[in-house]
Amino acid sequence: METVELIEVYVYEVTRRLPENNREDIALELQSTIEDMLPESYSEEELMEVLKKLGDPAKLAAKYRDTPSYLIGPRVYDAYVEVMKLAVPWAILIAILVQIVDSVLSFSVDEPLIPAITGTMGMLIGSVVEVLIQVFFWITLTFFLIDRYAGSSDNLSEMMGGQKWNPLSLKNVQIIPKKKIIKRSEVVFGIFWSVIGLLFYFNADRFIGVYRQMDGEGLRMVMPVFDNPVLLSYWPIVVVISALQIGVLLYKFKEKLWTRKLAVTNAVMHVLSILVLVYIASNPALINEAVGPYMVDLLEIDYTSFDNFINWAKWTVIISIVVAVAIEVFDSFRKANMRI
Amino acid sequence: MNSLLDTFSTELRRGTLTLAVLSQLHTPQYGYSLVQRLEKAGVVIEQSTLYPLLRRLEKQEIVTSTWDTTESRPRKYYVISKYGNDLYQQLKSEWATMTVELEKLIEGDGDSGAD
Repeated sequence: METVELIEVYVYEVTRRLPENNREDIALELQSTIEDMLPESYSEEELMEVLKKLGDPAKLAAKYRDTPSYLIGPRVYDAYVEVMKLAVPWAILIAILVQIVDSVLSFSVDEPLIPAITGTMGMLIGSVVEVLIQVFFWITLTFFLIDRYAGSSDNLSEMMGGQKWNPLSLKNVQIIPKKKIIKRSEVVFGIFWSVIGLLFYFNADRFIGVYRQMDGEGLRMVMPVFDNPVLLSYWPIVVVISALQIGVLLYKFKEKLWTRKLAVTNAVMHVLSILVLVYIASNPALINEAVGPYMVDLLEIDYTSFDNFINWAKWTVIISIVVAVAIEVFDSFRKANMRI
Repeated sequence: MNSLLDTFSTELRRGTLTLAVLSQLHTPQYGYSLVQRLEKAGVVIEQSTLYPLLRRLEKQEIVTSTWDTTESRPRKYYVISKYGNDLYQQLKSEWATMTVELEKLIEGDGDSGAD
């Protein structure tokens, strides 16, 4: 290659990275500068020496550019991270819920259980990854556009965060002690389990049952444990309780830390839930009529011991729930009363 | 260790570059003549830093430029503007104060051990 062409190539390598409107001017200036740096008649080595001095064309071009080479600038970075932190757990929760609801509703009793579960798990991972990619992409794009095109004003962070900072605004900031904090994940998981619980309540006849290993076909449900019409007759109260539970969770989300009021609300909610649970469990018609004879036959026991077993199981479940709830309620009051 | 020293001295020098460049632009200069003048005075400035800096100064209306096409090759001449000169004078006195202050601090460095 001719040395003159080499100069052109260097200049081209710089200017192709620059905005169209000042390319020509920069090209001309660079060209004459390079020639200025060279002696009257020069060798290729001398030219190389000069170009080496000017350095990497990409770096030179970057210095010419006014726009920064980062995606999310410092003005909006904090807000960006905040929004991400808020959006990501909810996006994951919703993706998982949608996938589970979809799988549960499309599950048929004739299907073997284990392959259905593993299939759902696979789809879950897939949809969570997809949702995360979407969330990252759209939030990043939005913030990138805000950062780049919201003018050069320094008060962009004020626009994003509300007001201009003033020492007086410190008075409104609440220091959340670590021990009193309510984790966001706690709320998200709470809502997750509430929705899953409701889902299984309404589909109990298809999931909660006696499972047996079938020859070569894996685990299959033989019969549901509950008498479905009886179980479902409680639906309004179950829906109301679930809605209240989610309401309390959202209240926790808003408060961010344990307060007395929140601890009381939480305790009332738990007591109410347990009362409803005991009320429903106390209905003797709740258990599917067919389960009794089937189990008696299968395990070769008499009816009395089967009844004892059912009662024992019921009370074990209720007592463990009561104990777990009592511990949580006690803990919430302890945290609410804790001094900073 | 040495690279850290490099980082600090580059940082230290960066702030003074504008002052150094402006000081030479009372007479029109083209890119390479400016490099030579600065080099002769012992001021090291990378060319890849200088040319973008000149453009920025032009955009900020601190310097003005004209293309001279009468010679064998076209050259872009930069000269300080009226506004730029006012700025330069203020910057100069700022620099004078700063060096005096810093000098005091650095000198004081020696006798702090004696206290």
